[in-house]
Amino acid sequence: MFSRVAFSSAVVQPCRQLLAVRCAATTSSSHAAAGSAVAESPERDLTNFPRPVRAELPGKVRMGFIPDEWFTFFYKKTGVTGPYTFGVGLMTYLFSKEIYVMEHEFFTGISLAIVVALLIKKVGPGIATFADKEIDKIESGFKESRESVVRVHEEAIASEKQEQWRAEGQTLLFQAKRENVAAQLEAAYRERLMTVYNEVKRRLDYQAERENIDRRIGQKHMVSWIVSNVLKSITPQQEKESLQKCITDLKSLAKA
Amino acid sequence: MAAKRITNINIDWTALADRVPEAQRPLLAAFKAKSDGYLRRMIANPQQPPKIDWSYYTSRVPVKGMVADFQKQYDALAIPYPKDTYTSLIDAQEKEALKEIAEFVKASNARIASYEEEVKRLKSLVPFENMTMEEFFQAYPEQGFDPKKPTFWPHIPEEQPGYKGGPEAPAH
Repeated sequence: MFSRVAFSSAVVQPCRQLLAVRCAATTSSSHAAAGSAVAESPERDLTNFPRPVRAELPGKVRMGFIPDEWFTFFYKKTGVTGPYTFGVGLMTYLFSKEIYVMEHEFFTGISLAIVVALLIKKVGPGIATFADKEIDKIESGFKESRESVVRVHEEAIASEKQEQWRAEGQTLLFQAKRENVAAQLEAAYRERLMTVYNEVKRRLDYQAERENIDRRIGQKHMVSWIVSNVLKSITPQQEKESLQKCITDLKSLAKA
Repeated sequence: MAAKRITNINIDWTALADRVPEAQRPLLAAFKAKSDGYLRRMIANPQQPPKIDWSYYTSRVPVKGMVADFQKQYDALAIPYPKDTYTSLIDAQEKEALKEIAEFVKASNARIASYEEEVKRLKSLVPFENMTMEEFFQAYPEQGFDPKKPTFWPHIPEEQPGYKGGPEAPAH
C-alpha cells in the first residue's frame, strides 16, 4: 500500500511517464538490426509471472494525491462514504489532540495548496499534452526503426512474388513464337501456290498470245499479198482499156 | 500431309506487355515488329490462288492437247506444305526455360521465406516500451547504459576522455 509514492503525479490531467532511456545518440536507424530477443532462462515461468508491461498512465488518485486503492479498501466494509468519514475522523483526532499542530506554517501551507491547485488546473493540461507529444516523438523514433525494416522486407516479398508471376509469363512468349512460326510456314505455302499459278498462267497466256499474233500477222500479210498480186495482174492492155472506159464514162456523164 | 491452314496470328499482346519488366520493353517492341512483319507477309498472298479458266485457253491455244495436258498436271499437282522444323526447337527452348523458371521460383521462394522469418523475428521482439534498461543494454550495447563504464556528461563522444579528433587533434 505504501509502495506508491503519493506525490509522484501531482498533475491532474495524467501525463504519460517518460521513457527514461539514456542514449548517447538517439539515431533510430541503428536500433533496427541488433534487436535480438533477450535470452530468457528456460526455467522462467512466463505464464504465472508474465513480463511486466510499462504502465502508460500513473496510478489513479483522488484529491490530487491520495491513491484510489486507499478508498476502495474501505468499500467492502463501510460503503462509499467510509473512507471520507475515516479521513474526517482521523483529521479531527489529529487536530483536537494537537498531534498535528496548526502553527504558522500550517496556514502558509493551506495558501500554497490553494495556489498550487489553481495553477495545476489551469496550466496542467497544456503541459501534459506538450509532454505527451514529445514522448510520442521519441517513442515513434524507436518504433520506426523496426517498422521501417519490416516494411522493407514486406515490399521485398511483394516484389519477389511479382517477379515470379512475370517469369511464369514466359509461356505466353513461347506461344507467340509458335504462332510466328506457323505464320511463316503459311506465308511460304501461299507463296508457293501463287508461284505455280503464275507460271502456269504465264505459259498459257504466252501460247494464246502467240496464236493471236500469228493470226494478226497472217491477216496483214495476206491482205498486202492479195493487193500486190492484184496490182501486178493488171496488164498494160487492161490498164489502157479501163482508162478508155473511164474517159467514155466521164464524157457521157459530162454530156448528161 | 494434313497441314493446319491459318488465317491470322492471335497473340495476346496486352497480356504479354503486362508480364514484361520495364527493362525489356524494347525487346518486346522488336518482337512485335517481327511478328507483324510475318503477318504482313502472310496476308500479302490470298489463301487460295485464283482458278484458271481452262475453257478460254482450250479455245485459244492452237497446240493440240497442250491445254488438256496442262490442266491434268495442274490438278494433279500437290504442293507440299513447308516442313515445320522449328516447333521442336521451340519446345526444347520452352523446356529449358521452364526449368530455369522453376529454379528461379525456388530461389525466390527461399528469399521470401527468409524475409518472412525476419519479419516474424522483428515482430516477436519485446517492444521498446516494455524493455528494462538491462535488456536494452544487452540488445544495443552501444546505446544502452553500461554500468561498468559510465559516460561523462553530456554523454556525447567528444566529451569523453581519450577522444581523438576535433581541432585539438595532432596534425599529421
